[in-house]
Amino acid sequence: MARFNSILTLVFDVLLGRLGHDRPWFDLLLWPILGGIVALLVIKAVSNQAGITRAKNFIQVHLLEIVLFRDDLRVVLPATARALGYNLMYLGYNIVPMLVMIVPMTAILVQLVSHYAYAPTQVGSVVTVVASLDPAVGGVKPAEVSIELPPGVELDAPPVRSAGQEVAWRLRVTAPGDHVLKVHAGSQVEEKLLSAGGEARKVSVLRTKSLEAVLYPAEPVPAADSPIASIQIMERHDQPLGLLPAGESGILMWFFGVSLLAGFLLKDFFGVTL
Amino acid sequence: MHKAPVLLVALAAFAFSGCAGSSRTSPDRPGLFILGIDGMDPVILQRLMDEGKAPNFKKLAESGGFQPLGTSNPAQSPVAWSNFVTGLDPGGHGIYDFVHRDPQTYLPTSSATPPPGDPGTFVKVGGYYLPVIAGDDLINNRTGTAWWDAVYAAGVDVEVYRIPGNYPVPESEAKTLSGMGTVDMRGGYGQYTWITDTVPTAPAGHDLKGDVQLVAVEDFDLDGTPETVKAAIKGPPDIFHLEPGKLPGETDYLTAPLTVSIDPAAEVALIELGAERVVLQEGEWSRWVPVSFDALPAGAMALGGSVRFYAKELRPGFKLYVSPVNLGADAPPQPISTSAEFAPELADLLGGQYYTQGMPEETNALKDGTFNDDDYVKQVALVQEDSSAMLSLALARFQRGDATFVYLSDIDLQCHMLWRHGDPKYAGAAPHPAFEPTSAEAHKLDIEGYYRHVDGLLGRVMDRLPPDTLLLAMSDHGFQPFTRVVHLNAWLRDQGFLVLKDGKRTGHIASGDVDWSRTRAYALGFNAIYLNLAGREAQGIVTASEAASVAEDLRTRLLAFKDDKDGHPVVLRVERSSDIYHGARVAEAPDLVVGYDRGYGHSDESTLGEILEPELADNTSRWSGNHLMAPEVVPGVLLSSRPLAAEGHDLTDVTATILAWYGVDPLPGMQGTPFLTP
Repeated sequence: MARFNSILTLVFDVLLGRLGHDRPWFDLLLWPILGGIVALLVIKAVSNQAGITRAKNFIQVHLLEIVLFRDDLRVVLPATARALGYNLMYLGYNIVPMLVMIVPMTAILVQLVSHYAYAPTQVGSVVTVVASLDPAVGGVKPAEVSIELPPGVELDAPPVRSAGQEVAWRLRVTAPGDHVLKVHAGSQVEEKLLSAGGEARKVSVLRTKSLEAVLYPAEPVPAADSPIASIQIMERHDQPLGLLPAGESGILMWFFGVSLLAGFLLKDFFGVTL
Repeated sequence: MHKAPVLLVALAAFAFSGCAGSSRTSPDRPGLFILGIDGMDPVILQRLMDEGKAPNFKKLAESGGFQPLGTSNPAQSPVAWSNFVTGLDPGGHGIYDFVHRDPQTYLPTSSATPPPGDPGTFVKVGGYYLPVIAGDDLINNRTGTAWWDAVYAAGVDVEVYRIPGNYPVPESEAKTLSGMGTVDMRGGYGQYTWITDTVPTAPAGHDLKGDVQLVAVEDFDLDGTPETVKAAIKGPPDIFHLEPGKLPGETDYLTAPLTVSIDPAAEVALIELGAERVVLQEGEWSRWVPVSFDALPAGAMALGGSVRFYAKELRPGFKLYVSPVNLGADAPPQPISTSAEFAPELADLLGGQYYTQGMPEETNALKDGTFNDDDYVKQVALVQEDSSAMLSLALARFQRGDATFVYLSDIDLQCHMLWRHGDPKYAGAAPHPAFEPTSAEAHKLDIEGYYRHVDGLLGRVMDRLPPDTLLLAMSDHGFQPFTRVVHLNAWLRDQGFLVLKDGKRTGHIASGDVDWSRTRAYALGFNAIYLNLAGREAQGIVTASEAASVAEDLRTRLLAFKDDKDGHPVVLRVERSSDIYHGARVAEAPDLVVGYDRGYGHSDESTLGEILEPELADNTSRWSGNHLMAPEVVPGVLLSSRPLAAEGHDLTDVTATILAWYGVDPLPGMQGTPFLTP
């Protein structure tokens, strides 16, 4: 999975990063539409189209039955039960395509989120960086964890080492740039990108070993034997996108909304029954 | 032709068309900008201008005019600002005091928001009260037409920032943000949380206002050094578990868990609240930290607020202050602005949360003694930073022809809290009874500093406004020292107007201690006396034919009320509401409005219906400056960039002037007259 994510990140860094950041509206329209098309192709390839058509037809038939004989409970009750049954069947036919399409859709979505959801940290502001130790690796205590800061980033308060095997730093950003923070844990070093000031660009807020890495692919996953489980920048600021909804949830809603719309509009063109 | 591409293009065109806002074009005429400076006193301002410490006010006064501005009767902020908003007196707008009373129960009620009548119909499912039929909405008790509505109707773009007494927010087409009176998430006017391992001691005779949580610093990692504190912040009432119509008890609030990790080697802590983490050193204030309260499981209804932390002490003792939970400005759980989008729009433009709580200065913690003066002043600086940013925003949005009002709290609450360190009004005044020698030297000039700060803000306004704009700087009232506390219910008892049951001398109206069958008058509110009137009060005994003579008897005796300490008259004036108020709501008013002389003021206890033993006492509270006195001893200020017609104006004249500036006819019942020379 990590390799898949790395390859996709490389590809999207070119497609969105080098070619895209001055036209977010284009990428945020193009990729959800492509997502919708991919979804249609997946549905066409792996779903039981005949079954879906049959289930939809029966749902319509029983709904019509309910409308026509609404005064006759002996007809309405069985018709309702059958309509519900075919609804369940319809949902069942969609499970497989949904499971398949979730992979490419999520892959596209998380790349859009890392490129367009977060604004770089403002120069002059403070950020909280939290490093969590990996209990499965062990061998390093919070007191043995330190941070090495590049020019342009300063320590704003002493570090806090918690009983929950975390170390937190409050940092002040004094210059723009893609700063590389180095977290030393015993003899190992893990890096974390801190983007500050300047143009909108890909921003990484979390680097982690956990499953969450799927959703935050902007930086490589720490090595399995690293004592650091994750490094996180706590303050996340939405990147304004004009009239488009901003932030993680904004892009998520937009992506699925446009994908769905594109799917419905193009289903006949691709000969797909939804 | 296939429809799909066309629809996609249409969608794109809609999304990216960059449609302009719905801003109207104001009339082609000079605009109006009003700075509402709560509590600014003409005597103090004149002195500072004379001493060259308020150069911008002096410049404004010289360009137009400066004079004392008559305040409302009583001189209380909700009353005064309502006069200003509507141009009516309390008989018209219905706000007589901070505190009103329910004649059926004799209990105090909020003047801003009468309790809703019908809570609605609910069904109880799985322990949850689910609404079936909606109950009465909370409404604003103020009646009359706000000036901004009349001006907006004349085609003017209006923006009103933090206007007092406008919560709950009445409907309006103008852009308004509610100020004083806006509640926190708990539904009160601001209750802070004090998380500590030491039992705080309240000053004598004072109940702690904060929510104190006693905690232990625990050693979670068993390394011999305690480092972890677990606590919780209380949010809004747990409405789905609370019986409809019932007032919430201490355990009826939603909570958000909080973990504090203190570093073993340094005075610095990590605060975890939901997904938020904040590193805070001892003595520091945090940024705004969002907090969410789940009213329904699985985040089905999450109510968002925001708090600030202050690490008063991390070791050896633990004292962490958490601000009242302010309604989230980016998505307020209840409306605090018109339109509802105005408050979030401001949050966007200001870069995040701002103080939405009506009175954000942390006076309660200073009164409780959990804050010292240094803590308080630090917190005030945060409020000032916030209000300064909002003023800058209002100025940036102001265009020729617009009408904008910006409220500043910089003076009022600081005069209330810091007067005891050095009287800014009367040189050589005797030390205040609450004088604290240990902190007086550091804070004796603070009030002057706040005046100078406001002078700086005024300078910014004058620099930015289009030159032909009418600029008004005004206050709702002035200030006086508050040295003697009047327990008016004790005086009424001693004069035989109020009788307690079983021969008792002390008690509380709310506790049922008053013998209403023998009581002719009682005090509730800061300047109010009510007759126990038959047919109006639930157990009234004073008949309509007796009312006038009882009121006159009270008036005569009150005017003869002398301070047993030095023989000074306590009361300067007593008015019958029917003599001074006009409008449809005079009948709701207190029967008598008591105007104390300079230095005297109602006690908090008497305000809420408590009867203590003494009639008078020294005011040893840190709440040491006041204005709840006769209107003539606490006038406000009026400064204008254009010449003023004559002397003797009051708040309703400001309203009349605003309407006249835009050629709007006075509204029915309005009291004032315009004060600009033609």
